[in-house]
Amino acid sequence: MVEFDAVSKVYEDGTRAVDALDLSIAKGEFAVLIGPSGCGKTTSLKMINRLEECTEGRILVDGKDIQDVDPVTLRRNIGYVVQDIALMPHLSVGENIATVPRLLGWKKAKIAGRVDELLAMAGLEPKKYRYRLPDQLSGGQKQRIGVLRALAADPDVILMDEPFGALDPLSRDKLQSELLEMQKAVQKTIVFVTHDMDEALKMADKVILMRRGRIEQMGSPEEIQENPASDFVRNFLGEDRLAQITPDMGIESLVQDPYLRVLATQKAAAVLDQMEDLNLDTAQVVDDKGKWVGMVVPRRAKALARDGGTIAKAVRKDRRLNIEEATISDAAAMLADMDLPVPVLDGRGHLLGIVDSSGIARLAIGRLCRKGGETR
Amino acid sequence: MTQRSLWDLFITYVARSYPRILMLTWQHLYISGIALAITLVICIPLGIYLTRNEKLAPYVIGLANVFQTIPSLALLGFLIFVFGIGNDNAIAALVLYAMLPVIQNTYTGLRNVPPSLIQAARGMGMTERQILLKVQLPLARPVLIAGIRVATVWVIGTATLAAAIGGGGLGRLIFSGLASIRNEVILAGAIPATILALLADQCLKMLENYYSPETRAKRLARLGPLEPDKPWDSDQDETVLADETEENEEAASESPSDVDKTKGEDVS
Ligand SMILES: Nc1ncnc2c1ncn2[C@@H]1O[C@H](COP(=O)(O)OP(=O)(O)OP(=O)(O)O)[C@@H](O)[C@H]1O
Ligand SMILES: [Mg+2]
Repeated sequence: MVEFDAVSKVYEDGTRAVDALDLSIAKGEFAVLIGPSGCGKTTSLKMINRLEECTEGRILVDGKDIQDVDPVTLRRNIGYVVQDIALMPHLSVGENIATVPRLLGWKKAKIAGRVDELLAMAGLEPKKYRYRLPDQLSGGQKQRIGVLRALAADPDVILMDEPFGALDPLSRDKLQSELLEMQKAVQKTIVFVTHDMDEALKMADKVILMRRGRIEQMGSPEEIQENPASDFVRNFLGEDRLAQITPDMGIESLVQDPYLRVLATQKAAAVLDQMEDLNLDTAQVVDDKGKWVGMVVPRRAKALARDGGTIAKAVRKDRRLNIEEATISDAAAMLADMDLPVPVLDGRGHLLGIVDSSGIARLAIGRLCRKGGETR
Repeated sequence: MTQRSLWDLFITYVARSYPRILMLTWQHLYISGIALAITLVICIPLGIYLTRNEKLAPYVIGLANVFQTIPSLALLGFLIFVFGIGNDNAIAALVLYAMLPVIQNTYTGLRNVPPSLIQAARGMGMTERQILLKVQLPLARPVLIAGIRVATVWVIGTATLAAAIGGGGLGRLIFSGLASIRNEVILAGAIPATILALLADQCLKMLENYYSPETRAKRLARLGPLEPDKPWDSDQDETVLADETEENEEAASESPSDVDKTKGEDVS
C-alpha cells in the first residue's frame, strides 16, 4: 500500500534527513515510525503526501508512483494528523472535520451526516460539539477531532505525526485504545510517528525504529523486544521505558533490597549498633519465615535497649506498601511525608524490599535527561 | 451686532443651510469612500504579495511610511503638480496617506498565521488559493480590519483638507468659517466630519465582531445547517477580499444617511 524504494531526502542546507529508506507497509497495517528526535520520522511521513519531495528514490502509494499524482489530489486521498493537531481556530468543530469532504465537493447533507457519524463514533455528542470552537475543547477532545478530521473522507491511508504527544498519560492511554478499537473496525493503512516506545509497542503491527535517517530495526513489537538488533535498539527500548513510567504505574521498578533486614528476635541494642555502623535511620524487621514485622523506630528502640528487650516491640507497622496495589505516586506521597525507606510487601505480608527517595530520584533523572536531550 | 450665543448661531446656521451641509457631507463621504476603496483594492493585494516576496516588504512598507509621515497638507500641495487642483488630487493624496496601516496590517496579519496551520491545510489538500482564502485571510481578519479602521478614520479626518486645494467636502465649511471668523460655520463642518469618522469606525468594529469566530459559531448553531456557503471547490470562491471592500462601503454609505436623518429631524 505504501512503499519506499531507496528513498532519500537531502534538504537544501545539505541535511540528509532520510537516507536510502526501503520500506513496505501492507494494506490495513498499522506501522509505527519511532526513533530519537531528528532521525527523520516527520520527514519520511511528509514525503508520503508530498509535503516534502524526496530527492532520491521513489514512493508508491497504492501501487502508483506519487510523483505521477497531482499533490493536491494525493493529499485529499490521504488522511493527515499533524504533530500539533492544528485545528483551524476560526472554524467550528464540525467545519474542521468537514474540511476534506468540502474540498472534495461532497453534498451538504452527506457532509453533515458524516460529521455527526464521526463525532458519535468518538463519543462526542454531535448536537453539543458540532458548533463548538476548537478553543472550547479539552486537549483530548482536540486530539480526537484531529483524528476525525483525517478520517472524514474515508481515506485508505492515514498519516499521524505524534498525534497524542501533547497529552497527559491517562488521556493518551485512552485515546490509544480508542484508536486501536477504531482501527479494528475500519482497517486503514496507518503510518504513525511517535517518540514513545510504549506507544509503539502497544499500537504497532510493525515497528520501524529509525536512526539518523536509516532503519535500525524493523519488525513486530515482539520481534523487536525479543531480539533487539543492536545496543542502540536495546537502549532505546530500555531508556524509553524508564522515561515513560507514569505516577499511576506499579512500584516494581522502584523496589530495591532493604539496607538492613533484622530478625524480630534480635536484641534492640544490637540492632541499634548495626544501624549506627551503617549510618542508617531505620531497619526492616522480619520473622524467621520472612514475614514483615515492622520498621524500627529508633526512639523506641533506644528505650528498649536500656532494658534489654528484643527489637520486635520497637517497630511501627502502619507505614508500608503492597506491591499489588501501590502506585508510584503512593510511594512518593509516603516519602514526601517522611524521608525514610518504605517497606514493600507482597500479598501474604512478606517483605520484598523497600522503596526510598533515591529510586524516585532515579526516575526523575531518567526523565529529565531524556526531556533535556530532546530538541524539537 | 447683538450678542448671541454660539449655540444659537449654530442652530440658526444649520436650520438655514442644512441642504448645503448635507451636500458637503455627501461629498466628503464620496471622497473618503473612493479613496478608501482604492486604498483597499491596492493595498490588500499588495500586502498579500509582500508575504510571498518578503525581501520587498521593508522597502514597500518603508515607502508607505514616508507618505504617511509627510504632513498631509504638504502632500496635497505636492500632488497639485501631478493632478492639478480638485477632488482627484485630494483622493490621490488620501490614498497615499492611508496606505501604510492597510499594507502593514495585511502583511503582519498574514505573517502571524501559524505555519503549522498552513501546513495542515496544505496537507489536507487545499490549493494555495484555498489556503489564502480559507485559512490565512480569515485568520488575519481581525488585524486586517483593525488596519482598515485606522485608515478609515484617518481618511475621513484628512479629507477635510481637500477643501484647501479646491476640492469639496466638509472642509469647505471649516475653511470658510476660519476665513470669516464664524465659529458656527466651523462647527457645522467639524461636527458632521467627526460623527462620520466615529460612525464608520463603529460600523467596522461591528463588522469585525460579526465575523469573529465566536459570533460565527453561535450563528451557525442558530441557523442549523452546517455549511451556509458553497462547497470550497466551486471555482467562484467568493473572495473574502471583495466581500470586505463591499461591506465596508456599505457600512460607510449607511452611516451618512443615518446622520442626515437625525440631523434633519432635529432641525425641523
Ligand atoms: N525544512 C528543513 N530544512 C532543513 N533541515 C530540516 C528541515 N526539516 C527537518 N530538517 C532536519 O532533518 C532532520 C530530520 O528531521 P525530522 O523533522 O524528520 O525529525 P523527526 O524524527 O520528526 O524529529 P522529532 O521527533 O523531533 O519530530 C533533522 O536533522 C532536522 O533538523
Ligand atoms: Mg517530527
